[in-house]
Amino acid sequence: MLKSQKHVFWEALLIAIVVFVFGFLMGFAFESNRIDKLESYYASSEIFMTDGLAFSSLADLEKVDCEKLVSSNLFFADKIYEEAKLLGKYEARELLSEDLKLVHKKYDLLRTFLWMNSMKIQENCPSEDYNIVVYLYEYETEDLAKKATQQVWSKVLGDLKQDVGNRIVLIPLAADIELASLDYLVSQFEIEEYPAVVINGVLVEGGVATVDELKEYLT
Amino acid sequence: MDFLTTIYLFYSFTALYFLILFMLIYFQNKNRFGETWKPEKIYSLGMVVPCYNCEGHIESTIRNLFKSDYSGLKQVVAVDDSSSDNTFNILKKLEKEFKILKVVQTSKNTGCAAGAKNFGSKFIKTELIGFTDDDSYPSPDAMSHMIGYFDDAKTGAVTSRVLAKNKHESLLAFLQAVEYKVIAFTRKLLGFVEAIYVTNGPLSIYRKKIFDEIKGFDEKNWTEDIEITWHFVSKGYKVHMSIPAKIYTIVPIKFKDWFKQRIRWNVGGLQTIRKYFKSVFRCGMLGKFILPYFTFSWILGITGLFILVYRVVRTIIVRYLATKLSIEAQTAIASFNDINLNPNVLLLFGVALLVLSLSFTTLALFYSKEEDFKKRNFIKVLLYMLVYLLVYPAILIASLYNYLKGKQSW
Repeated sequence: MLKSQKHVFWEALLIAIVVFVFGFLMGFAFESNRIDKLESYYASSEIFMTDGLAFSSLADLEKVDCEKLVSSNLFFADKIYEEAKLLGKYEARELLSEDLKLVHKKYDLLRTFLWMNSMKIQENCPSEDYNIVVYLYEYETEDLAKKATQQVWSKVLGDLKQDVGNRIVLIPLAADIELASLDYLVSQFEIEEYPAVVINGVLVEGGVATVDELKEYLT
Repeated sequence: MDFLTTIYLFYSFTALYFLILFMLIYFQNKNRFGETWKPEKIYSLGMVVPCYNCEGHIESTIRNLFKSDYSGLKQVVAVDDSSSDNTFNILKKLEKEFKILKVVQTSKNTGCAAGAKNFGSKFIKTELIGFTDDDSYPSPDAMSHMIGYFDDAKTGAVTSRVLAKNKHESLLAFLQAVEYKVIAFTRKLLGFVEAIYVTNGPLSIYRKKIFDEIKGFDEKNWTEDIEITWHFVSKGYKVHMSIPAKIYTIVPIKFKDWFKQRIRWNVGGLQTIRKYFKSVFRCGMLGKFILPYFTFSWILGITGLFILVYRVVRTIIVRYLATKLSIEAQTAIASFNDINLNPNVLLLFGVALLVLSLSFTTLALFYSKEEDFKKRNFIKVLLYMLVYLLVYPAILIASLYNYLKGKQSW
């Protein structure tokens, strides 16, 4: 009377695998597309950075236009700060591959260069309108209190950037990403716990601060 | 890829597989969905109605039963399970009116529907035996639609399509009406692959010889209707469902009653899994599909709930701490920049599954072209999918707790 149709289990499995693999590949394509976009930003930032380093080196040899040097560095800092925000948004999603982590590491290396170069510029061209704000956080923390603190620090520093953006170089850096140069730089500040904020070489004490409190650290 | 992402992908694949499976079965059997067979002969049928403290509706139930157009209905046995109200007297009055109605009473309350059903089955002498609840109302042609399946000697049981009679009494009742339609639709689909896992309590008919052979319902089981179905399937008998055979039942309108009913269903499900677990990968479709499907659904439901709770609690803690700190730091608690609209693979799968599930539910509600679900109820259907179904894992946990604690009271 009724013919059994058990073959449908296999048919469904086959279709499900095809759809799933297609979706999975789409997911990879999404991620690859984002990585490509970031890689292209990175390539351009790398050129800026190299140019900035070359410009700073010139300052050692001859007198250069400090105003130009500072504004060029501020422009570059703003550029990679915006790219960091974009990278952060991509990373907030569940990921299929580890490639974004690698991009993050490359950016952190670039930002470490930026920090070093910014300090050098500050030394060669002291100016009241030039401040270096370094935000050191943990990239892979599972500590909920730390996560919350990092979220708030990011917002406060974002507010500060919005308020006095033309006077500060804001450099967010993942302190636990295992970069020897960064580890060395950080070791000079005797930081016991992350997140931490260093403004013009001075560690901000006492947990999350308000924008007004941070402004007191600025020149 | 982190652990949770792997788990989410696994869930997505499983949901995708079952949705595709059900869709495929439907489209391959679209024209056979509402089919019904005229029986080659008139099988004699005896119906058993277990009754317990149902003075309010037993008369209408019995009267409705006698509206059946099936000419082979030879016996109706109403079993009063030692009610403390006026049920027995009402039944006795009806016994005088209907010649084939026999009213019997248990010596003491059996404590479960299975007890009363088994008691009543002893008085049935027909080829087929059917059971209906004291609060269920079969449509007059329901039995006629079911009998034809028994022409196949391998058919052991045939079940009907249960619909909610009082769906407009509360939102909860309406959501159950949606659920009942989806369940009936899914059950019929499973019928095409010989994987029906329950012959419902409101109206099911069994071949009497086999019913006696397996010694009727398991009185220790909270869901005797699931248990008996698995018993039939394990013995190699076929179980069918007739979509045109409609029966209307009264569903709980209060959350407390609904929750209690669902706990009973799920504890019964667990008892049945335990009883038949040795049949995994054996005994035909019972071991190859029904049992793994049931067990797997349980595991996925409970694991899913734990993951959801884990994620939600973590998010709440982080949000709470961040809000507290934001106030201290005089910064915005939330800003436009926090909105992350970047899609990823899980979001894609999520949207695809939601669309597929909605299509499936819509199909389940509208395939029969009945007038009871109109466009204005779309919001309620969404509510069913996004809220009602989400409560289910909590019921699974409560049921598991009750099962492990050994709470066996009725």
